[in-house]
Amino acid sequence: MDRRGRGPAPLGGVHADPRSSGGGLAKSKRVAGAVLGRLAEAALVVLALATLVFLALRLLPGDPAALVLGDQSSEEERAVLRGKLHLDEPMWMQYARFVRGLVTLDLGESVRRPGASAAARVLDAVGPTASLASLAVLLGAVIGIAAAVLGAGPWLGERRHWVDRIATAIAATPLLAFAPVLTFALAARLRVVPLPGDPEAGAAGLVFASGLLALPLAAHVARVSRAALDDVARAQFLGVARAKGGSHARVLWLHALPASIGPIITVVGTQLGALLGGAVVLERLFERRGLGTLILEAYASRDLPVLEAAVVFSGALFVGAQQVAAAIHAAVDPRVRR
Amino acid sequence: MSGLAGLAALRRGPSLRVLPLATVLGVATLVAAGARSPVRLEPELSWSAPSWAHPLGCGEGGVDLLALVAHASLRAVLLAVCVALVGFVIGCPLGAAAAVARGRLERAVARACDLVQAFPTFLLALVVLSAVRSPSRLDLGFVFALTAWAPFARLALAQTRVLRDQAFVEAARAIGVTPARVVVRHLVPNLLGIVAVQLGAAAAAVVVSEAALSFVGFGARDGVSLGVVLDQGVSAMLRAPHVLLVGAAAVFVTSVSLMAAGRAFDPTFARKARRN
Repeated sequence: MDRRGRGPAPLGGVHADPRSSGGGLAKSKRVAGAVLGRLAEAALVVLALATLVFLALRLLPGDPAALVLGDQSSEEERAVLRGKLHLDEPMWMQYARFVRGLVTLDLGESVRRPGASAAARVLDAVGPTASLASLAVLLGAVIGIAAAVLGAGPWLGERRHWVDRIATAIAATPLLAFAPVLTFALAARLRVVPLPGDPEAGAAGLVFASGLLALPLAAHVARVSRAALDDVARAQFLGVARAKGGSHARVLWLHALPASIGPIITVVGTQLGALLGGAVVLERLFERRGLGTLILEAYASRDLPVLEAAVVFSGALFVGAQQVAAAIHAAVDPRVRR
Repeated sequence: MSGLAGLAALRRGPSLRVLPLATVLGVATLVAAGARSPVRLEPELSWSAPSWAHPLGCGEGGVDLLALVAHASLRAVLLAVCVALVGFVIGCPLGAAAAVARGRLERAVARACDLVQAFPTFLLALVVLSAVRSPSRLDLGFVFALTAWAPFARLALAQTRVLRDQAFVEAARAIGVTPARVVVRHLVPNLLGIVAVQLGAAAAAVVVSEAALSFVGFGARDGVSLGVVLDQGVSAMLRAPHVLLVGAAAVFVTSVSLMAAGRAFDPTFARKARRN
């Protein structure tokens, strides 16, 4: 039985967490330390990924210049390209240049589109992907939590077990299997959403794509929230809230949910990677512009600077989002602060 | 007692009822794979609907979809099982050893598992595959194995935390058994039942990732993949919807069957553990 949960303190409103009543200076120092720790960890992960990208393109067998130019290219052409990509320098100098490029956001010029810097092309593609993913996170969290509350409350009677079953079924179905089928049914047959590749899809296309992306997330959120709500279901502070005359809905939304928000945020954080992978698939499915399309295009045309920049940037985006999730978790739940 | 009840529930559970179905489908797949070729093209039959000669219809260039789906899912399952086993062999001892070592190593392994598990496998795959001209299935397997160990290590770590303070482990240590031997002889066998379920889930994830990679154009160079079927289906959504439906159903059935198969491991291992 967990009495340390948030919500009204059971006995006369005595604050349970002694640390939050500590000195202001000590607290701000602790917060600064935590933020710095998070930043350092995020930077380390991004650097590790960037190093992996760097090494994969240089140490694996095969000449990158030949990969870019094709087998028919002459040795002179390859030498020129190697000079342009700095592949003729010693490894440590290339690495130093690469790391400096990461910091200054200057990762060289696109091989395929002379004049366009790799970083500019990536920044250009971030917008659509970011709006797709953030709308998906929002929809997924809202739908998932609403479904869990519906399943935990008394409104559906015996039928509330259906919430769990549906969530389990959706969570077990791969996005790759249901997204094309739903698109076929809704876009090609019923014509309620724009067809894939429709350049005038606009907001409807965005909402539909992020709705598809949100479905598996919502299923995971619903399952985890159901478990978390069950965990606090017998806590004393909920009984007190009921005894004071709160309705089921009020007790669930205002008392039980804040106490079980931790696992919900954690599951969103762990699903971010899958979300990013799903975004690539959906951008390919709907022929939407975005980071995924850019990465695929750069891979197909062997545009190495753009590929490096796009992969490192997506990794940074992912790590950043995860750290934000962890920070929100710490901000709303005093129990996880260390 | 509650363990017994749980086992009984599992045996009655819906996942095990799927298993015979999965077996039948697997056998049918094998038969079909032997009889038809996934690369034979009959251009006059392009995008033709299901018929007696071609039960699932034909796709781009008149490729027989039954042959393509059968070969693709067989190869995907083979790859997935290999990757899951590699992840199992690496992750299980790693997690157990970390929990036995405790302290800093334990925390580092747990954190690494969290990171790797949440990390977009897709990005990692792109990084490694961008260095090869056209990836082979071995390359794909290598990419998936890079992250496959994490869930196994995580589970083994959590379970070993429970086991490491039990009397038989203490007794083994007291009579002078080395830590490495404690892990291999006493801890890993006790982990198998719980970790084995993860085998199915990991294999299912590999099947889906492989299909997703080839859907977006990073697939194995032989072009025999469930993702290719889906890709054809999406491009011919209006002309020949059966291709899309066949592809989606194949991905779904393959991944769910593997998950059910992993579930089936659980009771056998648990029973064995009880007998010993």
